[in-house]
This record gives sequence, C-alpha cells and structure tokens, in this order.
Amino acid sequence: MSHAIKAVHRGGRLLNRDLRRRIVDMVVAGNNGHIPSAFSILDIVTHLYDRVLSVDPDNPQWSERDYFVLSKGHGCLALYVNLHRHGFITDEDVAQFCRRGGILGEHPDVNKVPGAEASSGSLGHGFSYAVGIALGQRIKGAQNRVFVLIGDGESHEGTVWEAAHVARNLELGKLCVVVDWNQSGMQLLPHDDLPAKWRAFGWNTLVIDGHDERDLRAAFESVRFASRGIPTVIVAKTVKGKGVPMLEGHGMWHHRIPNAAEYASIMEALS
Amino acid sequence: MSAKQVRQQFADTMLAVGQEDPELVVMVGDISHGILQPFAKACPGRYYNAGILEPTMMSMGAGLARAGLYPVIHTIAPFLIERAFEQIKLDFCYHGLHGNIVTVGSAFDYAYLGCTHHCYGDFALMKTLQGVQITYPSTPVEFDTLFRQAYRNTALTVYRVPGSQHGVDFPVSEIRLGKGIKVADGRDLTLVATGPQLKTALGARDILAGRGWDAEVLYVHTIRPLDEELILASVAKTGRVVVLEEHMRSGGLGDDVLRTTRKLPSVQYASASIPDAFVRAYGSYEDHCEAVGLTAGGVAALAEREFRR
Repeated sequence: MSHAIKAVHRGGRLLNRDLRRRIVDMVVAGNNGHIPSAFSILDIVTHLYDRVLSVDPDNPQWSERDYFVLSKGHGCLALYVNLHRHGFITDEDVAQFCRRGGILGEHPDVNKVPGAEASSGSLGHGFSYAVGIALGQRIKGAQNRVFVLIGDGESHEGTVWEAAHVARNLELGKLCVVVDWNQSGMQLLPHDDLPAKWRAFGWNTLVIDGHDERDLRAAFESVRFASRGIPTVIVAKTVKGKGVPMLEGHGMWHHRIPNAAEYASIMEALS
Repeated sequence: MSAKQVRQQFADTMLAVGQEDPELVVMVGDISHGILQPFAKACPGRYYNAGILEPTMMSMGAGLARAGLYPVIHTIAPFLIERAFEQIKLDFCYHGLHGNIVTVGSAFDYAYLGCTHHCYGDFALMKTLQGVQITYPSTPVEFDTLFRQAYRNTALTVYRVPGSQHGVDFPVSEIRLGKGIKVADGRDLTLVATGPQLKTALGARDILAGRGWDAEVLYVHTIRPLDEELILASVAKTGRVVVLEEHMRSGGLGDDVLRTTRKLPSVQYASASIPDAFVRAYGSYEDHCEAVGLTAGGVAALAEREFRR
C-alpha cells in the first residue's frame, strides 16, 4: 500500500461533543494540554469505558478488572474526562488539571490517578508493559482482558514491534491493541502501511473508522479474547483534532492553548 | 572458594525458590537457558526465554509485577542496565513496582568480548534511580541469601553476578541486605572492597602488614542501601581509606565512601577502580585487573604511595 493512504470516514454524526468541550475547558483552565491528540482518541476511549471495559470506580484495583493502558500518554485528557464521567476522579481533580497540588498532569501518573493503569508519556513503553500484564494474568490463571492504546507516531518506536513480536509468539489472546492511526507518523515517515505491518507480525488485524460507533462496536465485539490465541489489533483511522476544523491536522495546534476568540470558535463548532 | 559458579547458584536458587513460591517468574534474554531448565521444568509456565529484546523484556517484567507477580529479569549487564535504562527508570521505578534484575557480565567479566559487552557504570546508573537496591553477591551463599531476603520486598533489586569469587565463606547469619561485614581489624587504614575484589583486599592487607601497615578490611555486598555506619566508624578510626571496586571511578562505591566520610577531619582517600575510559584492550579478566591496578600488589603500592608517612 502506498503512502497515499488516507483515512476514510463516513462523515457521520460527531460523537462526544460534550466531552470535547470539557477537554477544551480543562486545557484553557490548566493552560496546558494536547487537544488534537485527545480528540483523536476520544471516541475510542469513550467507547471502551461505556461499552467494553469491566472496571469498578469504587475499587479501581479490583482484581478482576479489565486493564486499559493508555500508552499514548499525551492523549490523556480523553482518559481523564472518561474517568471523571465514570466516577473515578472528582470535579475538584478536574479543576486542578496541571496545577501543582492536583493529581492530573499532561501525562498520567499511575500512583496519583485512580483508574489509570500506567504512567505513560515516554512513547514505546505501554505496549510492552501491557504484554507483561497480559502474560501475568495468564500465569495466574485469571481472565482479565488487557487493552492498550498506542499512537501511529509511537509506532516508530522499535519497542512497539518487539512487543508485537513477542505477544504474538506467546499467543496472548486476551490482549487487544488499538492503534490511533491519525497519520501523525506519516508526516515524518510516509511509507507506513500499518495494517500490513501488523498482519506481517501475525496479528488478527482489523481496520476501522475510529470515530464511528458502529465500527467500534463491531470491532470490539468480534474479538474472541481467548486465553491462548492470536492477539488482535484494531487499527483505527482517526483524525487528529477530530470535530473542530481549525484543530484538525498536524499543525500548530498539537500543544497550543486557545485564546479567547479561538475558544469561542471551538465551542461554537462543538455546540 | 566454592567450586560452584555464582551464576549456577542463581539457577539453583530460582529452582528452589520457584518451587516454594508460585508467584516467581523468570524471564531471560537468551542466556543461561541451559542452566535454568530445571526451573523451567519444575515451574511450568513461569520461565520465558523472551528473545533478544531487552527493553521490551524489562517493560514486560514491570507488567508482570503490576499483575502481582515477582519477576526476575536476566541477561548480560550492558543490555539490561544500559540499553533498557529508561524502561527500568519509568516502568519499574516511576511506577513504584517491585522486581529483580540479575545481570552477568558486569565490568569487564566478558573480558575477551570487548567494550560492547562491558558494563562499568552500572552502580552509577542505578544509583540515580529512586529506591533501587543494588547488590553484588560474590559467592553462591551470598546470592542465595540476599535473593531470598530481597526478592519479595517492595523495591526493585539488582543482583550483579560476577564471574569470579572472593573466596571467603561468610555464614548465612552474617549476610544481611544493606549491612557490610568487617572481615579484618586494623588501625592504620581501611580497605573497603566490593565483589570479588575482597580477595585482592585481603592479599593487599598481607603485603601491607609486612611493610608495617595494619589494614582493616570491610566487605560491602550491598551498594544500596549502603552500610554507612560501618564505613564511617572504620575510617574515623584509621583516617585512611582505599576503595576497591570493579566499577568506573565516577559514580561507584568510592564516591559513596567519600560522601559518607566527608565530615571526618583529614581523611586520606584512594580509589582502586576502573578509570573513566573504555577498556579497549582484549585479554583475560585477570589481565584487565592487572592493567587497572586491581591486584594485591597494586593496591598495596597505591596505599603506600598515597598515604606516605
């Protein structure tokens, strides 16, 4: 497949407008944050928390929980708004985003954030760590499923492919990887046919629209999660900054804080 | 000296502890595969020859710990400590996870293989990480004893397994994590040795005795936490200290001894260690020790030169 690959989206109803607005509010209040990266994965993370993950906000360390490792740590606002919505963290926690006394920063800290499973930020760690969790659960004879979300830029890291190689050979069927394929990585290394790579590593490879509820539901429902079997990767075509035209793409908005006029424009687009 | 290699004791200890503890998991990077087969057979599903992918193996170890198991990660020192440093730093230490790293081939133990297989800076690197326990068990009984004391505690513990031994059989009751051992009393200077260099220190003590110096010898098998009390008391008495270590001069045990004794009046210090440079020559382990002055004669001469009375 050539580098001319483009994500194909059905152009359907924009999901999670309210959560997108909350993310923007957090970024403006905290004067920090990666809005487009969070928007890119928000629909995936929200689908996981709403329909897939078995977790308990009253007992985040519940031994039978599903694990969700957000390896793409700079997308953490998508995680935070879902942890907040499901009762893992409080209004006050959200209000303290990026403040010295708060528990929420621009990358999650597993020892501060209830419900977070990894302290991510440095790319290329979370997938291998998730492989260890999945292997550990199988050694214990447990049934916990393990989900990990990585970025396509993150997939430049060699450790991603080390982990893919070893997880396939260990037949970690309860491990499911989601790749946020917003084509950031292709800005630098355009010959990057991710589905072909994953198939070459022997994974059950699904390619979906990461902003489409039907695709997300069908993909996650199709995963068998066998204790010993071929692991699954869901390569989700996404748009960085999805939902607000001025934020979409790979330009200056990666880590930009909206000014008052921009904030008004973004909120109007999300109304 | 035990005829058994410390590395073989590592395998034997895994077998013994693994049979007692179903939560012990061993993962190797394609070394020691043969000697660990008894463990693999006795503890099915808990032995993994993960492949040649040390950073991922390290992260996987952290994941195993997150799942509530007690991982042991093993391969050659530079590929674990140096290549996978960020995985140790973030996935174990920043996460606050427990675990065990067992290295072979530290310093220039893999003497003939050249600099790619040397690792002289492991103490220094590991000391920058919060909460890491660093041990250097240099007899079989030391490995077995220290491993059993540390492997299930809340820290990440590094076991630097040497290719040679110091030849002193300490009773199990004297081997305590974080505690040094006074091997010989003396009044004129202190020789602080870690690893197989205890043998060198005892040889140097004999030479120095013939020249009128009464040397005290301390043995340190735990670099972190360091037994500062033992070192301070000895150097306060003698006023002179030589540190012997198979580590580069910067960041090793010697720096810790200097820091520990900094408030004592007029302490004289010398370091018998590896210079801060690649050991580019080939040759045997003994050749390299000779070249950097880690011999009984070399250390005795260093002490006389530095502490001239």
